[in-house]
Amino acid sequence: MLDFAPTEEQEEIRKLAQSIALDHLRPHARKAEIEHDSPNELWLTLAQTGLTTPFPEEYGGSGPLEAVTYSLIAEELAYGDPGLALHIVGSLMGPLTVWLAGSREQQERYLPPFGNSTSGYLQRGSLAFAERTGGYTLADIHLQARRTSDGYLLNGTKRDVVHGQRADLRVVLARLAEHESEGPEGKLCAFVLPGTQEGLSIQAEEEKLGLQAAPSATYLFNQVQLPAEALLGETGSSGVVRAATLYQILRAAIACGTARAAFEYCSAYARERIAFGRPIVSYQGIAFIIAEMAMKLDAARLLTWRAACSWDRGEADETLIHEAESAQRQAVKMAQAATTDAIQVMGGAGFMQDHPAEMWMRDAAAME
Amino acid sequence: MIDFSLSKAQQAARDYAHQVALEEMRPLSLECDRTEEIPESFFWNMQRRYWGGAAAQARAYGQDEGVKQENLLSVISQEEMAWGDAALATAIPGPGLAAPPILSQGTPEQQARFLSIYMDGQLHWGALALTEPGIGSDVAGMSTTAVLDGDEWVINGHKHYITNGARADLIVTFATIDKRLGREGIRPFVVPKGTPGLIVGRIEKKMGLRASQTAELIFDNCRIPKENLLAGRGEKKEGFKAAMGTLDATRPMVGAMAVGIARAAYEAACEWLREELPAGYPPHKRRAWEEELKELGQEIEMARFLVWRAAWMADRRIPNSKEASMSKAYAGALVMKATATAVRITAPGEESERKLLIQKWFRDAKVFDIFEGTAQIQRLVIARRLFPNIDIP
Ligand SMILES: Cc1cc2nc3c(=O)[nH]c(=O)nc-3n(C[C@H](O)[C@H](O)[C@H](O)COP(=O)(O)OP(=O)(O)OC[C@H]3O[C@@H](n4cnc5c(N)ncnc54)[C@H](O)[C@@H]3O)c2cc1C
Repeated sequence: MLDFAPTEEQEEIRKLAQSIALDHLRPHARKAEIEHDSPNELWLTLAQTGLTTPFPEEYGGSGPLEAVTYSLIAEELAYGDPGLALHIVGSLMGPLTVWLAGSREQQERYLPPFGNSTSGYLQRGSLAFAERTGGYTLADIHLQARRTSDGYLLNGTKRDVVHGQRADLRVVLARLAEHESEGPEGKLCAFVLPGTQEGLSIQAEEEKLGLQAAPSATYLFNQVQLPAEALLGETGSSGVVRAATLYQILRAAIACGTARAAFEYCSAYARERIAFGRPIVSYQGIAFIIAEMAMKLDAARLLTWRAACSWDRGEADETLIHEAESAQRQAVKMAQAATTDAIQVMGGAGFMQDHPAEMWMRDAAAME
Repeated sequence: MIDFSLSKAQQAARDYAHQVALEEMRPLSLECDRTEEIPESFFWNMQRRYWGGAAAQARAYGQDEGVKQENLLSVISQEEMAWGDAALATAIPGPGLAAPPILSQGTPEQQARFLSIYMDGQLHWGALALTEPGIGSDVAGMSTTAVLDGDEWVINGHKHYITNGARADLIVTFATIDKRLGREGIRPFVVPKGTPGLIVGRIEKKMGLRASQTAELIFDNCRIPKENLLAGRGEKKEGFKAAMGTLDATRPMVGAMAVGIARAAYEAACEWLREELPAGYPPHKRRAWEEELKELGQEIEMARFLVWRAAWMADRRIPNSKEASMSKAYAGALVMKATATAVRITAPGEESERKLLIQKWFRDAKVFDIFEGTAQIQRLVIARRLFPNIDIP
C-alpha cells in the first residue's frame, strides 16, 4: 500500500544522522577536502552510533542494512558534507558487497575486521564500479574476467574507486564470460583483490574537481591473475546485482543530500540578503528558482525511495537495475542543477570559498 | 512505512480504469476531438463502466483496507482516464470540480441536498466558476457580486472558461459579498442549472482539449435561495480559503491527468521507434531518441510519485498546498516536454492514427500549464510556503 512516511524508528535514526552531519561532518568539510581524508575521531563517533557497521551482529555489525533506512542516513550525511558522506558510504560498500554476494566463508573472513571495536573501525573498504569508458550504470561495466585453470584473468579499467588506494578490502565488479550463450560480455560478478598483484596498477586520483574528501583511485588491469577464491559467491546469483544497485541507490541519496544542503543554504541566504530594499527571495526571479529546486529535489528523492523499497522487498534483478539506475541518474542530474542554481541565488558570494555552495557544485559535478 | 507498492484497491483502481480508458475512450478520441462533440452513449457507458464498475470496485476494496484513500484512488484512475483521453475525462458525468467546495464548505444538510442529485443514476455534471474575463490568476480580484435580498442572494457578473459550464446541473460560483473586503469577501454559492438570470454564453474553440466543454456564463440578477451559500463554519476567511482549499485537492488530480497524457505520448513514441521506423533511418539517431525517451520515462515516474504523495497527504489531512503545487507544476511541464518530444520523434513518419493521436496530445498538453493555476502561480504557492514570513508578491 502506498505510503510516504518513514517509520518512527527510521525518523529517529534520520535525526541522529542529521545531528552527526551538522556537528561532525559540516564543520570538517573544508579540512577534509584539503586533506583528502577524514579525522579518525569522526569514525569512532560514527561507529558508536552503529551507522558505519550495517551488517549482521554475528560479524560485529549493528544489524543488517535496509536500503530505505540507509538512504535516509546517506542523505543526511551528504547534507552534512557530500565528500565525507561518500567517504563513509564508499568504505561500507566493500564489506557490504561481501555480505550480499560472498559465501559464508568469505563473509567470516572479510567482515569481522570492520566490526572490530579496538582496531576495525578504522578499516576502509572499497567497491570498484565505474570505468574509464562509462559511468554508474551496470551496462557500463566491462572489466573482463576469464576463467583459467587455477583462477581468473582480469583485463580492463576502474576509476573513481573510493578508498581504492588504501583500502583494507578491495572489491571490484566485473563481467565473467563463460559460455558463448551469455553474450560477449558475460555475467556481472565481483572479486576481492588481494593486496598487490602483478599487472595491476593502482593510481591515486589527485586532481579531482570535487568530492576530494572521498579519496579515490584508478585501477588498470593488465592480465591480472586472481586465485579461484577471489570470486565472491557464485556467478549468476543476485548478490552482486544487489550490491551494485545498492551503491547506485546510496549515491542517489547522497546526491539528494547535496541538493538539500545547497537548497537550504541558499534559501537562508536569500531570506537575509537585501537588494533594492527587499529580501531577494521576495523577487520571483529568485523565488521561482528556489521553488523549482524544492520540487525537483522531492521528485528525485521519491524516485530514490522507490528503488530502495524495491531493494528491501527483494524485487527481481531487472526491476532493481532499472529503478536504481533511474534514481542515480535523476538524482545526480538534479543535484547538479540545484547546486549550480544555489550559487546563482547567492550571486558573487556563491562563488567564494567563504561559503560551501561552490564546493557542493563541484561535488555534484564529480558524481558522474 | 515508506512503500511504493499498490494495495489491492489501488491496483484495481488502476487496472479497471485502464480497461475503461482503452475500450471506451481511445476509440472515440480522434473523432470527438474533430467534432468537438461527445456521443451520449459515452456518458452512459461511463456511468455504467466507470462509476458503476471501475470506481465502485476500487472504492469497495478500499473500504476493506480500512484507510482513507479516496484521493489516492482517484489520482490513480485519473491518470488512466487521461491516458485514454483527457478531454473525455473532463466530461465524465458527476459533480466534478463542484464536489470539493461542497464537501469542504457545505453543512451536512447542504452536502446531502446537493450531492444526492448525482446519485440517481441519471446523467448529471457539476462545474466550478472562479475565472472571469477580468481576472484569472488573481482570484481575489473578482468582480462578480452577490447581494442578499430577503431570502435570496442576487448574483451579477461574468464568468468564463468554465469546464462543463453549459451542461452542469450545479455550478459552484464564487462571488464577492463586499468588494472592500478583498479576498475576505469572497464566497462560494451553488447555482442550479436553469436558474433565471443564469445565461450560457459562448462555447470556446480551443487548440486542444477540444471535446471538453469550456463555457462562458453570465449572471444577470440571478437569484438563488439563501441556503445555497456554502458558508463553511462562518469564519472570516472561509470563502477564499474554500477556493484555495479546493485547489489543494484538485491540483494533484490535474497533475495525474498530465502524467496520463505524458505516458500516452511516451508509449506511442517508443512504439513508433519499434514499429514504424522508416527504412534507412540512421541507427545513431534512433539510439539518441531512445536515450531521450529513457530519460523521459524516468521523469514520468517522478511526476507520478509527486502526484501520489500529494494525494496521500490529502487523504491523511496533512496540509499539502506546497506538495499539490509541486505535483501540478512538475507534471504540467513534463507533459509539454513529453508530447513535444513525441511530435519531434515521429515527424518523419507517414501519417497514421498514432501520429494523429500524438498531435492531439500535444495540443491537449499546453492547458496543463495553465488551468488550476498557471506554472507561475504554482511556483508562487511553493515559494510562499517555503518562505512563510516573506511577502512574495
Ligand atoms: C481549457 C480550460 C478550462 C478551464 N476550466 C476552468 C473552470 O472549470 N473553472 C474556472 O474557474 N476556470 C477555468 N479555467 C480558467 C483557468 O483557471 C485560468 O485560465 C487560469 O487560472 C489563468 O488565468 P488567466 O487565463 O486569466 O490568465 P492570467 O491570470 O491573466 O495570467 C496571464 C499570465 O500572467 C501570469 N501571472 C499572473 N499573475 C502572476 C503573478 N502574480 N506572478 C507571475 N506571473 C503571473 C500567468 O502565469 C500567465 O502566464 C479554464 C481554462 C482553460 C484554458
